[in-house]
Amino acid sequence: MTTAPAIEARGLGKDFGPVRALDSLDLDIGAREFFAVLGPNGAGKTTAVHLLATLLVPTRGSARVLGHDIVRAGLDVRRSIGLVFQEPTLDRDLSIVENLRFAARLWDLPGRLAEPRINALLDQFGLASARDIPVRALSGGQRRSADVARGLLAEPRVLFLDEPTAGLDPHARRALWESIHRLRADRGVTVVLTTHYIEEAEPCDRVALLDRGRLAAFGTPAELKRRAGTSTLEGVLLAQRG
Amino acid sequence: MRPLYGIVMREVIRFLRQRGRLWSSLARPFVWLLLAGTGFAAVFAGSSQLDYRRFMVPGLIGMVVMFGALLASLSTVVDRDAGVLRLLLVAPIDRGAVALGKVLGATVLGTSQAVVVGLVLIPAVGLRPGVGGVLLAAGGIVLGSLAIGALGLALAATMRSLEDFSTVMNFVVFPMLFLSGALYPVQRLAGWLRALTYVNPLAYGVDLLKHGLLGPWAASGYGGEWPVSLDVAVLSVCAIVCTTLAGMLIAREGLTSRVGGGS
Repeated sequence: MTTAPAIEARGLGKDFGPVRALDSLDLDIGAREFFAVLGPNGAGKTTAVHLLATLLVPTRGSARVLGHDIVRAGLDVRRSIGLVFQEPTLDRDLSIVENLRFAARLWDLPGRLAEPRINALLDQFGLASARDIPVRALSGGQRRSADVARGLLAEPRVLFLDEPTAGLDPHARRALWESIHRLRADRGVTVVLTTHYIEEAEPCDRVALLDRGRLAAFGTPAELKRRAGTSTLEGVLLAQRG
Repeated sequence: MRPLYGIVMREVIRFLRQRGRLWSSLARPFVWLLLAGTGFAAVFAGSSQLDYRRFMVPGLIGMVVMFGALLASLSTVVDRDAGVLRLLLVAPIDRGAVALGKVLGATVLGTSQAVVVGLVLIPAVGLRPGVGGVLLAAGGIVLGSLAIGALGLALAATMRSLEDFSTVMNFVVFPMLFLSGALYPVQRLAGWLRALTYVNPLAYGVDLLKHGLLGPWAASGYGGEWPVSLDVAVLSVCAIVCTTLAGMLIAREGLTSRVGGGS
């Protein structure tokens, strides 16, 4: 990690009324890194991602994404990131391709750039034959695939994936990992993945373990396993909770 | 410009796809003309040289503006449920531009519906506005759509669910309609009700439409009641203030609440 960090968080925290969703997060994520935020439900993973994506305003602390302050330079942050949400973001009255075109326009992609990308993503995710069907008529798996494809469309420099594989069928799951692999190889995209599936964190460069709004452990998967004296990340998670 | 165009296009596609909304919005003024217009025309017969159905037309066009623009911008509440608001908030655009795009979408919908209805209604009741009259009426339609679309968006930004919708119908839509001069001249209202018309953007839009379409009857008290410059000024200020307010409210979205689910 010789380059400047893609993401720096210092004491970053968020309360929702009396609920402390994220306590105080210190984190450096390097450029081009494949980073996993691992933790059980309610650990604060989504809150952390939404703070970094400028969807939430922090209660405490600060953070920078590619050097842009998430509070003072939110627009610059949003210009450099992409986000696959855990929840749906599609307009159910529009077809898949209309939804993707809508997103392409929001990201200011000209049609000549957007159309080939949209077609390629629809092919990869097996959605080509469903492209003109309104989202409300699609199966849950197809909707989820379309939503994930939407998140990849803008090809940002930093890509947040919030529980991206939840609800994806195996075919779409493979399409997602292939897309991410290619984005990292071709464009050096920094990828931040939140997940509670341990096996998804195994191939990552480094892992942050969140538990009840706090950073419980941090390091490469190998380091974490060695420290906890186990052979799997699951063992690390269980050791933490001890 | 492309993000704004995208937001507006989405509103247009949605509207054209929701057939029920399309047909009811186009049929509504004709139902009013037929039922209310015919009934009131009998009551007012002989009291003036203006047929009530003619008097009603600017008000009915104003009604189309109101429903068209207001329902479009209130759909932002549905966006919050559907998650489209999440997408708008994470897109690389200023939150003020999100508000502006939604208001422009509402303006396009309110304006186009009102133009379609006006093209049928105006000749149907035998009104023959000149070029100046048409321009004034068009100004009333566009500025009215802008102002009411902006007001609707500011309202939507404070609403959490569509359950508040009937509240809006009862306390915003109906008072706005009945205190707009659409159905009777506002001068004839009692003092405190007349005071309410001054804070009703629809009243200024309808007034511009009356200036444009009922010019010949202005002297008998059935045309525009306020100066054209006042109408234009109030509608413009309302559009700017409400769009700015809505932009600020949308920007505050992430301050206190989770942006939809997750942890």
